Amino acid sequence: MNEAIAAVGGTAETAPQAPPGLKFVTRNVCVFYGEKQALNGIDLDITECEVTALIGPSGCGKSTYLRCLNRMNDTIDGARVTGSLELDGEDIYDPRLDVVQLRARVGMVFQKPNPFPKSIYDNVAYGPRIHGLVTGKAETDEIVHTSLAKAGLIDEVKDRLQEPGTGLSGGQQQRLCIARAIAVSPEVILMDEPCSALDPIATARIEELIDELRENYTIVIVTHSMQQAARVSQKTAFFHLGDLIEYGETAQIFTNPQDEKTQGYITGRFG
Amino acid sequence: MNYSILLLTLVALSIVGYYMGRNRARVTADGRIDRLHSLPSYYGTNVAIWVGLPAFILFAGWAALQAPIIEGLVFGSLPDQIRMTVNGDLLATAKMTAAQKTLFLNNVQNIATGDIASQAVSDDVRRAAAHYARLRGLSFMMMIGAMLIAAAIGAFFAYRAINPTMRARNTVERVVSGVMLVCSTLAVMTTVGIVLSLLFESFDFFTKVSPIEFLFGTDWSPQTAIRADQVGSSGAFGAIPVFAGTLLITVIAMIVAVPVGLYAAVYLSEYARPKVRSTVKPVMEILAGVPTVVYGFFAALTVAPFVRDAGNSIGLDVASESALAAGVVMGVMIIPFVSSLSDDVINAVPQSMRDGSYGLGATRSETIREVILPAALPGIVGAVLLAVSRAIGETMIVVMAAGLSANLTANPFEAVTTVTVQIVTNLTGDPEFDSPKTLSAFALGLVLFVVTLCLNVVALRVVQKYREKYE
Repeated sequence: MNEAIAAVGGTAETAPQAPPGLKFVTRNVCVFYGEKQALNGIDLDITECEVTALIGPSGCGKSTYLRCLNRMNDTIDGARVTGSLELDGEDIYDPRLDVVQLRARVGMVFQKPNPFPKSIYDNVAYGPRIHGLVTGKAETDEIVHTSLAKAGLIDEVKDRLQEPGTGLSGGQQQRLCIARAIAVSPEVILMDEPCSALDPIATARIEELIDELRENYTIVIVTHSMQQAARVSQKTAFFHLGDLIEYGETAQIFTNPQDEKTQGYITGRFG
Repeated sequence: MNYSILLLTLVALSIVGYYMGRNRARVTADGRIDRLHSLPSYYGTNVAIWVGLPAFILFAGWAALQAPIIEGLVFGSLPDQIRMTVNGDLLATAKMTAAQKTLFLNNVQNIATGDIASQAVSDDVRRAAAHYARLRGLSFMMMIGAMLIAAAIGAFFAYRAINPTMRARNTVERVVSGVMLVCSTLAVMTTVGIVLSLLFESFDFFTKVSPIEFLFGTDWSPQTAIRADQVGSSGAFGAIPVFAGTLLITVIAMIVAVPVGLYAAVYLSEYARPKVRSTVKPVMEILAGVPTVVYGFFAALTVAPFVRDAGNSIGLDVASESALAAGVVMGVMIIPFVSSLSDDVINAVPQSMRDGSYGLGATRSETIREVILPAALPGIVGAVLLAVSRAIGETMIVVMAAGLSANLTANPFEAVTTVTVQIVTNLTGDPEFDSPKTLSAFALGLVLFVVTLCLNVVALRVVQKYREKYE
């Protein structure tokens, strides 16, 4: 951990307004659940092909923010989002935008592995099929295999693709869910505490995988583990009580936080 | 001879025993309840149980055994030959048939209790009745004595046994759990009784009609001649048309109920806003509360004529008691059943499944079709099977709206009859229990019971398996 921090060094400035290389530009994002305000005007940019970690104590709004990025908050009754969220310069809350296509571009992996009660093969083939990305068996086979390979799962399951996905171990299930997300070829993968239900070995596998995926995908990860944020991310954003307290290079956040609250949280004084 | 007063006395004695036992427990503990093993009320209950329970068991046993014993004694005291009626023939008492014995005993009991006997009875019967009444009175007095003695002995020992170390709570709890066991087996015993009665009567039927003819015959006309010189109606008991009728109406009902119920469930659980859901769901459940007899006349008086007229207007020949009308109304009756059960299983599919699917960019309908329904399928199958067994056993609608003639047909516009209809028509009125017409009802009932039992077992297993998966 220390080595990683030392290697990145500490540039403290927040990113400038919408230069190339920014995937998401969000300004003044507020989220209300009924009367209750969960996010109070968040300004945050997500850099392309990097891992951005969102940290903060429980109930600070980091998952809520994550769920804005592919409009998963739409599925919650009474949730309301205001402010501007742009993906590659397009407003993702534009009424003309098709949320189905947005979610195909911005995939999501959840806290608890949630494979569908189908075979491993069908779990991965599900996304490409509903988006019409594949025609015929050969193409499907190929996309299933490459996705499982990218998720580092192919060696473990290649002989039992027709067995139910729910029969895998927790870590394998989570990698299956990642494979399922990759299969739709998204540009961004959102991960909501992907390792919180996993043991340390499975966690290490997933972290390795995240590091490999960074080459081709923009990744936003919510995590409760400071070590995990330090290990896998390049940028870190610290949330507290619905506010974005601090955002910057991971190394800088962890070695030289500008805000007292950030320092208190990462050193374990509160949270 | 008033049993209820006797039982009320027993209850009163138990209550007295309760208070005495409770007081004594307090006294033996010198007012320090914490030194007692159990709370004082347990000591009281223990005494009450010992007063009431042995006496009650004695009462139940006595009541069950006294009738055959007294009857035996009355028969034993009869002279060798008796007359039943004033002008009747002499009968050898040793050679009376079962029917004659029953008649004799009925007369004896009627006279003994002051009712009117069926015919002018002979002195023999009067003497027997007097003897019978004496024995009954004696038996009753003995029973009261025995019960009081049992209660007194129970009270004495339970009362004396009270001391601070006595484990009264444990005894009381054992007795209570015994009572609960008896209650829970009551339902099981009733089921066994129903099955046995079905089996015996069906056995009677199958001695008159061969099981092969019953199960595989295609001709059903249960009207049998009562006198030998009557014309026609020889009776035919091939049950296939009857079961085919049930099947036809059930299939029609399911064609209505399954898609409508399932769509309703999907709408309510996935699409409806909470406000809509909270109004529509209770309203649908009102549909389940409509008495089936109301559905019955709705089918017979509204739907059936409508179906007939609609069919006639497009040149179809539709019977006024068409299988279609009965089946459709039965389907409507079952809709809330299917939708409510399916709604439950669809709601039991975890939200994480939906999130996973939406997160991949699936639309709502894709999510329902590809993820939720497959996940909920076992539960839905269970719901449908339960609905089928309800449809098969449903009686009132078909009695009122389906026909009586057993047609072997798959045409929903014709009139068919069902198993339940035949059971009702063959058993209502003034049936004679030695004619195959009456007994056939039991054989039909037996087959129906077996079929619905199998369906229920399969359905419950399927539903159970499903539940284990997510909990």
